[in-house]
Amino acid sequence: MKKLIATVTLGLAVMALVLVAMPAQKKMIQIKGSDTMVNLAQILAEEYMAKNPGTALAVLGGGSGTGITAIINQTCDIANHSREWKQKEIDQAWEKGVKPRFFAIAVDGLSTIVNEKNTLEKLTMAELAAIYRGEVKNWKMVGGPDKPVSLYGRQSNSGTYVFMQEHVLGNKNYSTDMKEMNGNAQIIEGILQDEAGIGYVGVGYLYDKDGKIRKGLKILNIAKDAKSQAFSPLDKAAVDSGDYPVARPLYQATNGKPSPAVASFIAFETGPEGQKIVEREGFYTIGGKYKEQNETNLR
Amino acid sequence: MARKTSIRFLLIFGLVLLSAGIVFAQQTFNTTVYFDYTSYLSQDGPLTSAPKDNFFAFRRAYFTYENRINDNLKFRFRYDADNTANLTSVDINTGSTKKDDKLRPFIKHLYFDYAGLLSNSSLKIGMTPTLTFEMAEARWGYRSVAKTLLDGYKDITGVEIDASSADIGANLTGSLAKSVRYGVMFYNGAGYSHPEGDRYKKIAGNIQLIPAAGLSVVGYMDYEKQDKDNSAYTYKLDGYFEMVKNLVVGTEYFVYRNDKYLTAEQVRYDVSGFSLFGRYSFDPDVFSLFARFDRYEPDNKVSSDEMSLIIAGLDWAPFHKSMKLQPNIWLTSYANSEKKNDVVFNLTFFMSF
Repeated sequence: MKKLIATVTLGLAVMALVLVAMPAQKKMIQIKGSDTMVNLAQILAEEYMAKNPGTALAVLGGGSGTGITAIINQTCDIANHSREWKQKEIDQAWEKGVKPRFFAIAVDGLSTIVNEKNTLEKLTMAELAAIYRGEVKNWKMVGGPDKPVSLYGRQSNSGTYVFMQEHVLGNKNYSTDMKEMNGNAQIIEGILQDEAGIGYVGVGYLYDKDGKIRKGLKILNIAKDAKSQAFSPLDKAAVDSGDYPVARPLYQATNGKPSPAVASFIAFETGPEGQKIVEREGFYTIGGKYKEQNETNLR
Repeated sequence: MARKTSIRFLLIFGLVLLSAGIVFAQQTFNTTVYFDYTSYLSQDGPLTSAPKDNFFAFRRAYFTYENRINDNLKFRFRYDADNTANLTSVDINTGSTKKDDKLRPFIKHLYFDYAGLLSNSSLKIGMTPTLTFEMAEARWGYRSVAKTLLDGYKDITGVEIDASSADIGANLTGSLAKSVRYGVMFYNGAGYSHPEGDRYKKIAGNIQLIPAAGLSVVGYMDYEKQDKDNSAYTYKLDGYFEMVKNLVVGTEYFVYRNDKYLTAEQVRYDVSGFSLFGRYSFDPDVFSLFARFDRYEPDNKVSSDEMSLIIAGLDWAPFHKSMKLQPNIWLTSYANSEKKNDVVFNLTFFMSF
């Protein structure tokens, strides 16, 4: 009996110590998800923390799928995702009592890149889809050099992988020859080394640290179809108007109404200061439609 | 000689798997291990009157390999290890066996998972998880501390209820609408640790209704013919409440009916059980509290065989979520007044990497 009392007392003491120690730790806002958004979110978080001493934010990548899973499992405060949620994820959230709210923080012109030695200048959406489905195996089939196409893409937990598959490949499978890279930076490195390579990256990754387009890359113009004009992802007006056909909003999701601390950060990101940073990092600012949606979801 | 060859083979196999993992990033490896330091806090209950009263014991070691072959097709291979898989040799002349208590691996999962058969569905074929308590286990979340009601029924009561966590067969799960999910499975019924021993197959099905976000009700039934004249059924009803952030409350109730379970008077008796559990996470990766109450009724024709089990504990990751300490206490009480309560303290170490 003495042993029982001693053990229970010890257990309760440990519990009490842990409970007392926990609130003393600074509550850190956890942000997880899209690799396309990770650098942007990191810079936004750093600038926010510099302006708001005492706040703490941690930003992790892992892919949009990872971020969405984390918000469903309630292991992060904000999920970054560069694609819409899948029906399966919406169902899982419903099952677990998670009611996601979405905030668009930037717009991306998803960019198709090749090595600068590739003579090709543009592609139609149908040609781009055929290339990634593995139906076009040589560049000369779409007006390029006589070289076998070398595909670079992302892993399936990437929102960009899913976005391309849904919006460009018509929900068909990627070619099994595609090299599945860990992130945007790895795709760019692959293209720089591979004259026959083609890849897709977020527009913010096209720039070097001086704000110039990275040397060795060529950004292809994309046309909706053979009769349409091809546009560059660097053309903000074309991205805003929808003439550039592979543009997408970059989202953050919270579980229900964000806490005051999370809401304050999202308001910073979507406000004038945050949007200046978005533009500086090579992405595009959000328009009126998204602003209204953000404001509604913050309430 | 054979042993050296085996070691060489395992080394080569390991290196191949490792290099494959580097080349194809869609492959993952994961290991989960849990072990306890157990101390009996009572000395005169049916369980705690054993001569040993404190010990370390490994309970489980999982090694899982998964490969996402394409968007619709996945493959999973999982080794499990415990010290029940302890048959080391069989003498083919006498049929005698040798055993030891070493922790030994066995195959727990070996299946492919195809997502393209029906909309929002998953078809698993091979040695797959069964439907019986998979959902309850996910809500309870502390398999490292205790198995869920049906899974651990035999360990607690000694009564066999023919419910295995994995088996060989085909398993189809999916959703019909946002609020309606289903699962059906056709399988051996012998469990993952035995080959099929008869001509009869087991069929199981469940329906999950989610009337509000975070509120689920699940009805489950399985059936297997035992022999020409006898059958066995399991009926189960679960409820899960996840409407409050970081709080999960779940309940399970089941009845197992087997025509071969007869009293001395040749009257069939039923086996049943009830479980209520909950956990609350202050920080899901760092600190949670959990508790559970189980009621066991191994024979509804006998009034003095009921048992109750209360489990309470905490889950604390002091350094990283991959290494957790889960101190917990088990209090088992018995309807039979001649049996004294058992009180057991476990310090469970959980590692996942």
